[in-house]
Amino acid sequence: MLRRSTTLAALATVAALALAAPAALAKTTITMSGSTSVAPLVRALAIKYVALHPGKVGFKLQQGGSDIGINDVAHGRVTIGNASRKPQPSDPGGLVFNRIAYDAICVITSTANPLPGLSQAQVQSIFTGRTRSWSQVPGARVHGAIDIFTRTATSGTADAFRAIFLGNTLSVAASAPAKSSNGLVNQSVRTDNNAIGFVSLDFLRGVRAIPYQGVACTLRNAKSGQYQGIRPFSLVTRGAATGAAKAFIGWVQHSAAARAIINTHWIPLG
Amino acid sequence: MPEAALAARLRPARRWSRPERAELWLGALAVALLALIAGMVVFVFRQAWPSFSGNGLSWFLSGGNANTQLADIYHSPADPSHYLYALRAFPILYGTALSTGLAVAIALPFSVLCALFMVEFAPPGIARLMTPTVRFLAAVPSVVYGLIGILVLAPWINTHLVSESFKLDVKPIVPIGGGGLLLATLILTVMIAPIMIAINADALQNVPRSWLEGSAALGVNRWRTMWRIGVRTARPAIAAGVVLATARALGEAIMLAMVSGSFIFSPNPLDGLNFLLEPVQPLAATIVVNSEGLTVKPFGQTLYAFAAVLLVSSMMLSITGWVVRRPLRRQGVR
Amino acid sequence: MAAATAPAPPPPGVRTRARDSAASWPLADRVGLACCWAAGLALALVAAAIVIYMAWKGISQLSPSLLVQHPTGDVDQSKAGGFLDPIEGTLLLTLIGIALAVPIGVATALWLVEYGRPAPLARAVESSVEIIAGAPSVVLALFGLTVFSNTFFSFMSFRPTGADLAYGRSFLIAGIVMSLIALPLVVGATREALLQVPNHVREASLALGKTKAATIRRVLLPTIRPGIATGTTLGMGRIVGDTAIVILLLGNTLLTEPQEGLPGFGLLRGTGSTLTSYVYGNSPAGEGNAPEKAYAAAFVLMVIVIALNALATRLARGRDGGPAWIR
Repeated sequence: MLRRSTTLAALATVAALALAAPAALAKTTITMSGSTSVAPLVRALAIKYVALHPGKVGFKLQQGGSDIGINDVAHGRVTIGNASRKPQPSDPGGLVFNRIAYDAICVITSTANPLPGLSQAQVQSIFTGRTRSWSQVPGARVHGAIDIFTRTATSGTADAFRAIFLGNTLSVAASAPAKSSNGLVNQSVRTDNNAIGFVSLDFLRGVRAIPYQGVACTLRNAKSGQYQGIRPFSLVTRGAATGAAKAFIGWVQHSAAARAIINTHWIPLG
Repeated sequence: MPEAALAARLRPARRWSRPERAELWLGALAVALLALIAGMVVFVFRQAWPSFSGNGLSWFLSGGNANTQLADIYHSPADPSHYLYALRAFPILYGTALSTGLAVAIALPFSVLCALFMVEFAPPGIARLMTPTVRFLAAVPSVVYGLIGILVLAPWINTHLVSESFKLDVKPIVPIGGGGLLLATLILTVMIAPIMIAINADALQNVPRSWLEGSAALGVNRWRTMWRIGVRTARPAIAAGVVLATARALGEAIMLAMVSGSFIFSPNPLDGLNFLLEPVQPLAATIVVNSEGLTVKPFGQTLYAFAAVLLVSSMMLSITGWVVRRPLRRQGVR
Repeated sequence: MAAATAPAPPPPGVRTRARDSAASWPLADRVGLACCWAAGLALALVAAAIVIYMAWKGISQLSPSLLVQHPTGDVDQSKAGGFLDPIEGTLLLTLIGIALAVPIGVATALWLVEYGRPAPLARAVESSVEIIAGAPSVVLALFGLTVFSNTFFSFMSFRPTGADLAYGRSFLIAGIVMSLIALPLVVGATREALLQVPNHVREASLALGKTKAATIRRVLLPTIRPGIATGTTLGMGRIVGDTAIVILLLGNTLLTEPQEGLPGFGLLRGTGSTLTSYVYGNSPAGEGNAPEKAYAAAFVLMVIVIALNALATRLARGRDGGPAWIR
């Protein structure tokens, strides 16, 4: 009987220590979810932040699309939500969009179909499904049906595309396959000669970016303001940011190291 | 001796003997497990209720595009009194029933014939190889089946079986690619056949030898003996195998999420052969694909509604399996 | 007529009469036989195709360095990095799942077979195990995600700063839900093994004066060890092959990221990935950038699962020298 109670006591002590220790040494963890366009930028920023402030903060990054991030942070599920679009009236209340950078959306086709350029009217008629065949598009090098690829409903890129390119009144054809990330759209367009889609500027590997309204979709044109398809990246918090999140967001918005990272593939603020 | 004491001595002992400590501990553990599982079932149904009550019985009917309905539910306003629940889940249920039903329908004759081959008609060398083959097929993880489907079979179907004109015709309504009903059914068949083959072969081997020998003595040829006597005797086991295979097919999420076309749609049999190329998205695959949206309350409750339908189906299948196995128990097989 | 000596009986096992030749059968029966052959050969062909294709693709992509290198933290896996962390994740998750499933499963099976009263309670416990066996793993994962996101369980994962809910995803949580899917297999195998032990063994032990608990501990458990081992191996096979629970409940970080705290417990509360989520993530269903890595990881996964199932069959057959009174 004595042996059993001491065993139980020992187990209880170990359990208590195991629970207490994490509380004592607690390193804060910032969790983020949301846009797949913001994810590469935030990942690079987080790695640099952890390197500069070792042992203080940890990061966990998930994706899912801007709407997922916004809803997660509004419900208190994550610390920061990553959004790649402007706030919309349908967003939950009480959110603060801390803008950190700008990014361009490029219309892409496969390398077998290097279109010379598209106007806004052409983009609208192709993506809404009015123009169904490549033979109706001047400058197309392939024939057959146009395979449109769009993003799932939770994507901020899709919302920004609709706002900027489709004038907020039209919608992408309902039957277009909806991919859940930029990478998947890139992959679908890369492997299908008749495909057309839209991705963030960072996801152009293996596909061809089409000039929009006469301006090529490059980082330089985006920075100079010539390219029209620009949308903001924001780190969304519930109310004003506090604590570790505030420190991180402040670092991203104001430090030179962060600005250097943003400058590589995105457009810094101001 | 007083009458009462004598009567007490002669009364039979209590039937319920005091449980010993080990029984209490083990029983407590088993009951805790029961409580956990019962709690889980109750939790799933409670979470699912708002979605069902918000739609009534038309939850099970069709109407509108389920993809946009799910997106609208996700974008419900934050105010609880304005939560959107509108959903017509028939395309999802129909897709589940179609893919499962077709897979079981194809796998059933195939597995009976395979079991007959393994047990009776294969030459001894090949028969010895068949058992490890069946075990191997049963052991392959579903993600590997999905990988082969999505990297090898889907592009092949897209290039060779999908006609450009069909793709163009239905473009406004539904995207056609390699993934769809055909690929989902095929891979599901390969996944559930080993279960049925193993059970059928076991049952065929347990057919009393004297019955088969008696039939042979009467001059009936081997095929007719096995078909008329062996398969007929093994009917309860074949039914039990069908139930197990259906349960497996219903619960398959990952493989179907990869190959079934990722677009909620009711394939139309009137399209002829093209009906097989149309995409479906069964229940379990829908849950996996949409699992990130759990945060938004009405969307989470809708996902739980799908889970509740799956739970009820698997419970009904369990009951069917129990009913079907009763004749087996009478024969002495557990 | 001289009495003919009776011909010597043929040695046993040697066929003396001609086998029934299919050429004499009616057409319908010959068609049936042909269908049997077709089905059997089709099965063999499908299995061979899967084996050969996965072996070819897997071995051509697999290099020993992949097994010992960590993955790069990048989304694009096609350039560098191996899958050491996914392998670690698979092992850790299997360990946790089995460590929970075996004691609970064996205890439940013992109670069901040895005691099992009151009878309605025993039937209820049996039904609940069947419910778990039939429930798709997505349903269990969904349930786990909601329950463990409660802040009461934040010691099992962690609580992000500024968040209302616990993270709800970690090795410990995924391991707990994994044990649920392995449980029915352990319970089933243990039950089968217990029912095989003849009653006279139990009665002899009781007649010698041992209590029922001692009988279970000293006589029954050692005897059913092969059955428990079979159930354990089957359960391990099921855990290793499951993807849905991993995707929903493990946090899906490519590298194993333990939380801080006591070294062991921190790892349990951390996130990571397994071979199955790695294959899923690298296929066109996930980020899809590295199908070659997906093939290599899928090959390793298949080898592990097949080895586990072969081991289970071996254990089920049992060693030839079992206790004499069992036979």
